[in-house]
Amino acid sequence: MTAPRVTPGGRWTGYHGVNGDHADVNTAATDLINILDAVEVPIVVLRRDFSVACFNRAAADVLGLSPSDIGRASRDISVFAGCPRLEQQCDEVVAGGAASRVDLRDGDNWFVVRISPSTSSGRQVTGSVLTFTDVTAFRASMSSAIYERECTKTIFNTVRDPLVVLGADQRIESGNRAFYTMFEVSRDEAQAAPLYELGNGAFEAAALREQLEEMLAGSRAFRPVEVDDVATAKGRRALTLDAHPLSFPGHSERRVLVTFHDITARKQAEAAKDLRSEEELRRSEAFLARGQRLSLTGSFSWKVASDEIAWSDQLYRIYGLEIGVPVTLELVRTRVHPEDVALLEEMVQKGREGRDNFEGQYRLVMPDHSIKYLHVVAHATRDQDGRLEYIAAVQDLTERRTSEEALAKARSELAKVARVTSLGVLTASIAHEVNQPLSGIITNAGTCLRMLDTNPPNLQGACETARRTIRDGNRASDVITRLRALFSNEELTLEFLDLNEVTREVIALSLSDLQRSRVALQSQFAEDLPTIAGDRIQLQQVILNLLRNASDAMADVHDRPRRLAIRTELEAGDRVRLSVRDAGVGVNPRSMTKLLDAFYTTKADGMGIGLSVSRSIIERHHGRLWAEPNDGPGATFSFSIPGGPEGDTAIAPVARQP
Amino acid sequence: MTGKRSLVVSIVDDDESVRESLPDLIRQFGFAVGAFSSAEAFLASDVVSETSCLLLDIAMPGMSGPALQEELRRRRQEVPIVFITAQGDETIRPQLLARGAVECLFKPFSEAVLLDAITAALHWPVGAA
Repeated sequence: MTAPRVTPGGRWTGYHGVNGDHADVNTAATDLINILDAVEVPIVVLRRDFSVACFNRAAADVLGLSPSDIGRASRDISVFAGCPRLEQQCDEVVAGGAASRVDLRDGDNWFVVRISPSTSSGRQVTGSVLTFTDVTAFRASMSSAIYERECTKTIFNTVRDPLVVLGADQRIESGNRAFYTMFEVSRDEAQAAPLYELGNGAFEAAALREQLEEMLAGSRAFRPVEVDDVATAKGRRALTLDAHPLSFPGHSERRVLVTFHDITARKQAEAAKDLRSEEELRRSEAFLARGQRLSLTGSFSWKVASDEIAWSDQLYRIYGLEIGVPVTLELVRTRVHPEDVALLEEMVQKGREGRDNFEGQYRLVMPDHSIKYLHVVAHATRDQDGRLEYIAAVQDLTERRTSEEALAKARSELAKVARVTSLGVLTASIAHEVNQPLSGIITNAGTCLRMLDTNPPNLQGACETARRTIRDGNRASDVITRLRALFSNEELTLEFLDLNEVTREVIALSLSDLQRSRVALQSQFAEDLPTIAGDRIQLQQVILNLLRNASDAMADVHDRPRRLAIRTELEAGDRVRLSVRDAGVGVNPRSMTKLLDAFYTTKADGMGIGLSVSRSIIERHHGRLWAEPNDGPGATFSFSIPGGPEGDTAIAPVARQP
Repeated sequence: MTGKRSLVVSIVDDDESVRESLPDLIRQFGFAVGAFSSAEAFLASDVVSETSCLLLDIAMPGMSGPALQEELRRRRQEVPIVFITAQGDETIRPQLLARGAVECLFKPFSEAVLLDAITAALHWPVGAA
């Protein structure tokens, strides 16, 4: 028999060794005791009165029982306090004979205690055998699994995006709260339903089924799918579906987690933005086009390396070309004024050399032979590949130029009027004054000839008419003197003047005239000139006259630049000098002195009064006006007048001829 | 047709050299000449009705040339008029011709031009207007 032996004193004989008379029984009991002590599972035997009958080594080690606990009531042993229902359970087992289990907690450790009946050799139930299985680790992993699961479930349900897990055949296994809400189905209704039944069939149309199929078959890749027009609790929505494979160790069957992301708002915003930016683009393009039309400005881009040129509509209009025809440099050249082709080539060359920005003016000859004046400003940029590209604006200056010319014409007429007015005389009567004596000369000379031609000649009459002819000749000469004298009688309006400033004003007035005559003006002003006392208007008439003469002298110059240099300088004796140097036809040295006489002119349409009057004005300012030929082509006209305020009191009347 | 001698050319000009030189030349052409320094002087004379051609300055102190023309028309004593002027304004010529002048000469003018104008005046249909 292998039942454990219990001494009449109730002690666990095995623990204390065997001291029986029967050696074989002892041997069997010793073996049994060895086995029980080798078992790691604590085993405790309680008597029917719940006192400890005996226990094995593991019970001592694990539950902390000691030999002194044998015979004690289990309720007095701390380890059993963790299981209040132990006595009742044991009673039931003793009474019923069937084993049962009860949980027991000992500090941090958990045990499942199996209670089985303990029987004596006579099959009589004498108590219960408790075997303790340590489930602490199991419980911990269980509890953590439960915790994780609860967390996951909470997250799953808290996520605002709908999520669903699909199983075989893409049938719904479970979804989160958002999923059921979105598709207005209950958990039960959705259970095992194909995904495609939801959303009013919108998913069927999308390239979804195949991808999900592949994923359920083991693929991990999934391209998110956009599905428009999905029927949901919130109306028709646009959704992006993404999928992630779910696989579990030990489960051969795969599942797929599908996420739904509502992109309706984003798509609407994008659509609105597209619409808006499209509208904005359209508006700004229209605005630009209108601006170009209004400002008569076209624009172009020029990719230097490839010579790709793109024009704005307005530029086509300016060039008078059909909008959209391909633009080449050759085509541009056909429109450019022959005299300006070189200019254009130069600009193109500059562009090719990649100088930063360039700017220039050139003319076009239109098919109707009209001329257009263009101004181009080009800005160098680099495209994303670092290649040189120019963005340029081309303005049509023709109208502006026309009005400038009209303005200049009006201005020059005004200047003429001012000049005539400042002469203070004659105006219309200059002709009258001159023509009267001329008329007399011609009439008298004619009469004289006739009188001499009669037979006999009327010598007395001829002499009389010849005398009158001489007198009329003197009268004509007097007119010239009177012209200057009358002019000189004008009151001078004296003020202190800065000759540089006075000259600058004249230049400003003449600039457009000079430009139109293609005269290049160089000015050089000496600093710190003394002020002069003089009549601003009259001195300006002189300067204007010199400039105009110089410009006129170069009108027929075509083989060299029409260079006009005006400079002021300080002369010895505190005099200021202004000189105007032209590159014109020049003056014969022999006629230099005659130049300044009245009515002497080298100009076909001139009266020759200008220089004479100018000399009078300068002389009244105590100055001197003279002309000299240049070393090179042209002549230089200069005047000098004393500087300083003493000139104020020293203005002399010009001597009048009697 | 009367002889040339009886034809009178009158000159009204404030410029003395004209009054001195023109009469001699016109006499050389073979006409009788009267010279007056002003329109008023001419009107006051007794040659108005005898004048076959009036050489008339435009701008004069007192009554101007065109004003004298108006006055003669008012008095129904119209005379063929050749205006002579030292002012270079050619725009005045068509206006004067439109108002009945035979010719308008700009000083200085040649003998030939003067003779043509006087000849035209002599054939002018006086009072046709």
